Amino acid sequence: MDSTGPMGQVLSSRVAPLLENFLQGSVLDTSKDVLIHRLRGLCDNAENQPEIFHDHEIVFIMQGNPNQQPMYFHVRHSLIHPESWHVRYLGVAEVGDKNKLTLIRHCVDAGASSNVVDFLNEMGFKIDYEFIAKGYFFHKGRMKVTVSKLYKILQPGSTDQVEPLSQSHLVELSVVAPRVQEQIGEDMKNFAEQLKPLVLLEKIDHKRLQQSLESR
Amino acid sequence: MASASVNVSVEAVQEHKIQEVTLDGQEIYIPPLSMSENLAKLAHKIDFYKDESEDKGKPTSEGEKEVEEEASKAAVQPSLWPWDNIRNKLKAALTEMSVLLDVLNITKEKRYMLLDHVSQDAPEAKSAIQLMAKKKGLQSAAGVLLAGAERLKKSQQEMGTRPQNEFHIELLKLRQNWRLKKVGKTILGDLSYKSAGSRFWQGGSFEVTKNTNIANGEGDNMASTRSSLEVVIPTELEGSAFVQVEVKTVEGSMNLTSAILRMPHGLGPYPSDAHWQTKLEAAQNVLFCKELFSQLAREAVQLKSFVPYIVVGNQIISNVFPNVQLSIVLCHSTGKKDKKSQHPGKVEHNHVLEHSLHQLLREVHFKSLNMSVPHPVTATIGVTKRRRMAGPEAISRRELLEMTESETLLEQIIKQTRHAVLRLRTMKVIDAVAAKFPDPQICAHWSCLNSSLESNVRVIITSQGYEAMRPTWQSLYLEIGVNDIKVVTRERRRIILSFEEKEIEDLLLWQISQHHIAICQSLARLLSWQYISHSSATGVGEMEDFATASSVLLVSPNSDKVIAVRSGPTTGLHVHMKSDAKDIDADLASILEAKWYNLTGTFKEIDLNRIDGRNFATKLELIMASVTRKR
Repeated sequence: MDSTGPMGQVLSSRVAPLLENFLQGSVLDTSKDVLIHRLRGLCDNAENQPEIFHDHEIVFIMQGNPNQQPMYFHVRHSLIHPESWHVRYLGVAEVGDKNKLTLIRHCVDAGASSNVVDFLNEMGFKIDYEFIAKGYFFHKGRMKVTVSKLYKILQPGSTDQVEPLSQSHLVELSVVAPRVQEQIGEDMKNFAEQLKPLVLLEKIDHKRLQQSLESR
Repeated sequence: MASASVNVSVEAVQEHKIQEVTLDGQEIYIPPLSMSENLAKLAHKIDFYKDESEDKGKPTSEGEKEVEEEASKAAVQPSLWPWDNIRNKLKAALTEMSVLLDVLNITKEKRYMLLDHVSQDAPEAKSAIQLMAKKKGLQSAAGVLLAGAERLKKSQQEMGTRPQNEFHIELLKLRQNWRLKKVGKTILGDLSYKSAGSRFWQGGSFEVTKNTNIANGEGDNMASTRSSLEVVIPTELEGSAFVQVEVKTVEGSMNLTSAILRMPHGLGPYPSDAHWQTKLEAAQNVLFCKELFSQLAREAVQLKSFVPYIVVGNQIISNVFPNVQLSIVLCHSTGKKDKKSQHPGKVEHNHVLEHSLHQLLREVHFKSLNMSVPHPVTATIGVTKRRRMAGPEAISRRELLEMTESETLLEQIIKQTRHAVLRLRTMKVIDAVAAKFPDPQICAHWSCLNSSLESNVRVIITSQGYEAMRPTWQSLYLEIGVNDIKVVTRERRRIILSFEEKEIEDLLLWQISQHHIAICQSLARLLSWQYISHSSATGVGEMEDFATASSVLLVSPNSDKVIAVRSGPTTGLHVHMKSDAKDIDADLASILEAKWYNLTGTFKEIDLNRIDGRNFATKLELIMASVTRKR
């Protein structure tokens, strides 16, 4: 990955960045139950009920120079366990590489205390957008699968009044590893094959999506 | 009259012949013939075949000519008539066809004319025919249903009489218990613990085959137990296995090579035509035991500890205490006859520790599979919540290191063994001392809340009959841990004992001696004897091997008798008594008080064996009561 820009500074300061391999897809609300059943059978702990999560994510943006790319920080905390806050910096994933079976992006993770929002505000970050994600969590070995429904917050500040963003659930498959390993991509691809007719997990080009949104 | 002309019209009177007169007086006229009809009528009157000349005779030649002309005219005219008729009829037909075509065209257009159904009268219901038709229909329907029912009944009967051990039914039952998958033409199954979290390198896959030779020999019992489904287990998992755990005392501390390999004789070979379920379960057990033993062996080799572990073949030997050896043996009997004869020695297999080993391995499996769910989900998986919150909560380095420490299987089982040994020894010692000394009663109350690494016992020493005197109770609280025993005495003194059995015994003996002194004190209070002195660590007299002796001096209410009691753990219990001197001058007797007589005199020992009494307390009470004189 690139050694300039924010990642370069991270790497040079000997913070351990990790690489996240991920695949994304979506499934309609009506077919969600079938997918949940399938995932229960494929993943570990088939005999337990699937774990539920309910998270609130706030994305902060810091625009340094006007010509530079802005920096985004993702701050996420669980509404079930309100004391656990998590800050993430995500790099940009390169799509063009045909050899790689999954999208790979840098990520820097850190746990945070509950006053991280004030801290970022003081630092100069501005809130870009926020949303609520609610869904199910599965894991198989080190692979993490989440089926989440995204909600838009109607009134900023209150997390109760929400409305769903779409009629579908977002399915994400991700593995976090310290370095690039072929085996991870193979495993993820095989897992995605198992879910094939229900949901299509593939590499999604975020840049193209953004461009198509801007042009609209 | 000439100017006004009146139109006069002359018409023929329309008088037509009356066809009929209806009942209500209406006259129906015969409609007058139209032109064409008139013509046709007239034409019909002409008889074309009849010659006119025949009627009239032979006229003159002119007349004949005229007649012939007339006849020919007459002949010509009638010759035109038939064609005219036909021509007219054809014309009429053409007209009608044109009209019909026009009508059809117009109705096809549907703008000015439409074709509509003609309402027909409902045909009258002929009930007899309808009944017949319905009956026939019902009969055919009934026939179809009956045929279907017959088929179902037949298949049902076939299911019932089919032997229960049919291949597909057996396969269904197999699938309910084990994971199967079809690879090409073969059906393979998995009996390993991989889906439960095991990471063992050895896989357990078995093959399912059809049993083609079901011997229908004599004896229905044999045929019924033989199923049509066979499982082929890999050779290394054949037979049955278990992990034997033995704790024994071995003379000589490091004599580890003296462990004898003992083959299990409780484990016999199972018949080869056993049911597939038992075969598969046995194979799974073998795999589990193999994994357990390999894990223990690996840890034994890698672990650095003060006490070396010896791994020999399928045995792991280690010393948990000096003279106490723990041996873990993987016993796997494949069912084939052993060439060497089995050692008939008695094997003391510790079932509790074997069960603990199984539990520990299952815990390892469980931990590898069940990770705590990260909230929020983007946090790292695989670490505990405490570790995740370590950053934000700013825990110290020491705590972090503590979190990373984990115990290996071997360490855990050795700890459990140590505790088991200590507990057993303590029990034995307490019981032995209680049996040896019936005099004060020793009562041990073991706590029912204990774990595999910790137990408690409260030992209470009382004298029978004198339990109401609470101060005489000597109660000890022992907390048995892994390596040592912590003791809290009645005076809240903490003592730590090691694993030696003698230390517990000594402690109990000492407590018994203390109890005797406590008895003396309480009895003195009861019987109003006075308590002169008490020393819990008497420096005089015979020396004890351990601890110290205690002594107490009591004087009677009349101050004429003094009892001295000395009690020590090894020297035993001695009671001496001093009476007042009898050789006092009679002159002095009147001026002196009785207590001054006590200053002189010798102590004489009382032989407690010759005093009646169940225990020391009774005996002492008897002594004290008998020497007390009334004032």
